[in-house]
Amino acid sequence: MSKHDFDVIGKDQKRKDGPKKVKGEHEFADDIQFPMMLHGRIKRSDIAHARIISIDTSKAEALAGVKAVLIGSETPIKYGIVPQMPTEYALAHQKVRFYGEPVAAVAAVDPETAERALDLIEIEYEALPVYTTPEQALAEGAVKIHEDNKFPGNIAYEADQNFGDVDEAFKNSHYVLEKVFKTSYVNHVFMEPHCAVSKFDTNGELFIWSTTQIPHYLHTHLAKVLQMDMNKIHVKVTGVGGGFGGKGEVSNNELISALLARKAGRPVKVLYSRKDVFLQHRGRHPIEMRVKVGVDKEGMITGIDYNGTMDGGSYGGWGLVILFYTAAMLHLPYNVRNVRFYARRIYTNKPTCGAMRGLGGVQPRFALESLLDQIAIDIGMSPYELKKKNAIGLSHETVSGQVVRHSEFRKCLDQAVANSGYLEKHGKLPFGKGIGLAGGYYISGTAYTLYMAYKPHSSAMIRVDNESGVTVYCGATDIGQGSDTVLGMMAAEKFGLPFESIHVVSGDTSLAPFDLGTFASRVTVAAGSAVCKAADNVLEKLKPVAAIQLGVSTDQLEARQGKIYSVFEKSKEIDFWKVVEKYIDAHGPLTATGNYTPPRRTGNFKGANIGHSPTYGFSAQCTEVDIDIETGEVRVIRVTEAGDCGQPINPVSVEGQVEGSIVMGMGQALFEELKVGKDGRLLNPSLHDYKVPTATDIPELKTTFVDSYDPDSPFGAKEAGEGPIQPVIPAIFNAVYDAIGVRFTEMPITPEKVLRALDEKKKQEGMQS
Amino acid sequence: MHCEPFEYEKPVSLREFESLYAAKGEDAKILAGGTDLMVLIKEKLLAPRLLIDISDLHELQGISFDSRQGLTIMAGTKIAEIERSALVKEHAPALAYAAANLGSNQVRWMATMAGNICHASPAAETPPVLLAHDCELIIGKQGGERTLPISRFFLSYRKTALEPGEYLKAFRLPPLPERSAVAYRFKGLRRAMEIDMLNIGAYLELSEEGQSVSDIRLAMGSVGPTTYRATATEQRLKGMQIDDEFFATACGGVVQEASPIDDVRASAEYRNRVIGVLTRRALEECLEIIASRGNKA
Ligand SMILES: Cc1cc2nc3c(=O)[nH]c(=O)nc-3n(C[C@H](O)[C@H](O)[C@H](O)COP(=O)(O)OP(=O)(O)OC[C@H]3O[C@@H](n4cnc5c(N)ncnc54)[C@H](O)[C@@H]3O)c2cc1C
Repeated sequence: MSKHDFDVIGKDQKRKDGPKKVKGEHEFADDIQFPMMLHGRIKRSDIAHARIISIDTSKAEALAGVKAVLIGSETPIKYGIVPQMPTEYALAHQKVRFYGEPVAAVAAVDPETAERALDLIEIEYEALPVYTTPEQALAEGAVKIHEDNKFPGNIAYEADQNFGDVDEAFKNSHYVLEKVFKTSYVNHVFMEPHCAVSKFDTNGELFIWSTTQIPHYLHTHLAKVLQMDMNKIHVKVTGVGGGFGGKGEVSNNELISALLARKAGRPVKVLYSRKDVFLQHRGRHPIEMRVKVGVDKEGMITGIDYNGTMDGGSYGGWGLVILFYTAAMLHLPYNVRNVRFYARRIYTNKPTCGAMRGLGGVQPRFALESLLDQIAIDIGMSPYELKKKNAIGLSHETVSGQVVRHSEFRKCLDQAVANSGYLEKHGKLPFGKGIGLAGGYYISGTAYTLYMAYKPHSSAMIRVDNESGVTVYCGATDIGQGSDTVLGMMAAEKFGLPFESIHVVSGDTSLAPFDLGTFASRVTVAAGSAVCKAADNVLEKLKPVAAIQLGVSTDQLEARQGKIYSVFEKSKEIDFWKVVEKYIDAHGPLTATGNYTPPRRTGNFKGANIGHSPTYGFSAQCTEVDIDIETGEVRVIRVTEAGDCGQPINPVSVEGQVEGSIVMGMGQALFEELKVGKDGRLLNPSLHDYKVPTATDIPELKTTFVDSYDPDSPFGAKEAGEGPIQPVIPAIFNAVYDAIGVRFTEMPITPEKVLRALDEKKKQEGMQS
Repeated sequence: MHCEPFEYEKPVSLREFESLYAAKGEDAKILAGGTDLMVLIKEKLLAPRLLIDISDLHELQGISFDSRQGLTIMAGTKIAEIERSALVKEHAPALAYAAANLGSNQVRWMATMAGNICHASPAAETPPVLLAHDCELIIGKQGGERTLPISRFFLSYRKTALEPGEYLKAFRLPPLPERSAVAYRFKGLRRAMEIDMLNIGAYLELSEEGQSVSDIRLAMGSVGPTTYRATATEQRLKGMQIDDEFFATACGGVVQEASPIDDVRASAEYRNRVIGVLTRRALEECLEIIASRGNKA
């Protein structure tokens, strides 16, 4: 792979949590039980937009087995992941804004009693008009969903950015193409529903076990909503059965479990049903995008003009960050000098949209990769050639000031095209069969943080002793992506020890030092850097001890294969653990810390701090489809991917991320869509009716790495969690165009839409001939 | 999820079951695999006072074949067993195929074919094939039995011809005559775990010279309140030569006899359009099977 000679890094490593998950031994939040523990359930609104006139909980309180009932007026403190713009309450206060919003909660001796009690809560509402689309919410005279919203009407946020001179660029272009694209309302569908267990001890300290991506944000939110000192709150992340961004915001059940536990004086578990998960939502924003791209005679991009309307649902969430992410994601992975961006996020009476794998990137990527494909075809060039010409080189700075310190995107394009036979197939397959190419990228961490402090974004502490071995303490959260394994592998490589001997303690605010959490594909680079520095600092302490034992200078020592030895004279070696013993005998406990903060960058425009990343991962995909032109079924048969994730730390884990990304993106392209009734009710909030791909739908997947090593990253690594989903959807859409000559601009491509489009095409061809 | 409390009985002999069901039938529901019933109870669409679990009744288990009566499948047989049975694969391969496409592996090891037809969903997997086979149902009741052709079993949306106190005991698929075959086609959005947007079972029997239709049955699902046969089309097709006109008549006919609605899974327009395609493909498959058998013989 790379020229680097590693013992642990880059070798497929079985995760320690793997066998435990297979055997049901890995502990998830719902496995946690305490004596006297109660079960909390949530009463949800059966109206999408209304003022709450009254809530009568007396009958519920009177039900035997009910220990506490809670309503919104008892917890009127607003919170939000964007602390400057809090919009949410643990339970609706004065108003409900979507059908299924939490309005009251009950803790009872068992779930059945709690659910029965919910039916006894009587709520009187004064109905308000329901807006299920941005169009309705923006109509003149529409009622404001958030009365204190600073922006006009139901605009949650709006912003523009302008670089270069787009109008001038289009004027001088050889060809300009504009289309309107629409993305769909989709949910992450992580396997494990939200679950939190809260317990107050006799001294009033709160312990909460939850399935979250962001224990430290949860920590601040709990302190705010419960009005407690942070040092009295202990957040413990349990096993996490997937998050994909959906657990990257505080969820109502977490706050409700803590509030109910305090009120009832007993531990309380609040477990969501799948329907609750769909209502908590935070899935991908549907965006209607009018996008215009110009090229010159050579196919070089002259400018991009983007106008997007995001359907945000009822609350703020990550919305404003995602809005600026879409702005940042217009530039790469191509070199573009003129870019105009305008976007607004609209409140509607639906479950709130938020962060979902590849957030901010997937929608603009869909539009741009589709447009570039069409432009290439229209000007008689191969889409590969056009994309390759415009692709950024080994390093790059965008007009918006994002600095890419390392990119092998061109290699990704070459490798995916070569491995798939794209050039031999594109435009040459029989009607109904097609191949499509798309590229993409994602950030590996973000320079901007919503955690209101300037402390390092990631920190780690390592303790080494002869009894317990090596323990890495890090606030990073393993949500199933395998970060505990990756961090343990890095420590193992540094110390020259086998991976199995490293223990990783993560996701616990009382035990491990601070980390922002798992999102923005940041953990390998950020927490990895912190762990590497901590390990280096441990070695700094050990080497002088070894040096004296061996009689050589410290700078020629290396730790490898259980030994510390001189690189010049291998026979001068000493057992690693012997050195540890001598160090501790002489100095006491052996610990060291390390931390990491990405370089801060900004610019002179609105949103300028958002979207910067220390480094970036890239991916290109060639996707083949087979369309049944009589039934309209689109079958993805093969995806050939080439990815630049830097040095893969645990290659088998990267493969898992890439394959998962492809299947997830394919679901959004072809099947998935949350449907909403006129009254704002979700029509398919179950896995029966909301259709994620099954094992039988998965195409042949040929994923490969391109040779890559980012010298400024820990062991050369970048990211693979969110970059590989970027090309998936446009590659499918481009393949469908190649197969039947129809340019779809709206997700998902259902069989019905295919048949309708084929009819339309026939009609038009008939008119032409 | 909480549901209304119910009592639960699990008889161990058919006699015990029959007398219990006769006594308590009014308030009771038969529980086979529970993969439909428990969903309805949890969604509070049903609140029976008593569930009688029939999964321990060995008298209701098993698959057998004899050349006179054909294939007999007892009501309590799991879908997964039907899917895997060598007898079913030999004598009713389309049924094995339909069974293999019902739900997931986990569901198939719980679910029964009796549950599938007694639930009487118009989108169910096995009814089109059973109708194509013109299967006979053996219906039990304390101290008695009657038989009913499956074509008279589905009365309307989720309503069957079972009288109070009656239960389904067995399916009997008559032996297929020479030069005949059954095929099953379905369409869902994804490839598994789907409630079909459309499905069709086709039976085709050719005349002795092998050129024309001596008998045909076309059973369609998801295009009306129950699974039903396109009987007018069948009449028109009988005696026709196998040629383009035959296919055109079949496809045009089923579209005319279908009366689909728009729902979350598909529009009526789509269903009308694709039911003809599935019909043609099912009939082509029947012809292929008949031809390949002829070659072998
Ligand atoms: C996840 C999932 C996926 C599914 N996918 C499919 C699919 O792809 N295709 C499909 O067709 N179905 C599907 N189903 C529905 C269901 O699994 C089938 O209809 C199944 O065959 C029902 O059988 P059962 O034994 O579980 O019936 P039960 O739920 O036990 O019973 C269903 C009904 O039949 C009655 N009943 C059962 N046995 C008898 C009897 N011997 N006599 C009289 N009445 C009886 C019961 O009282 C009840 O009213 C799915 C269900 C689930 C949960």
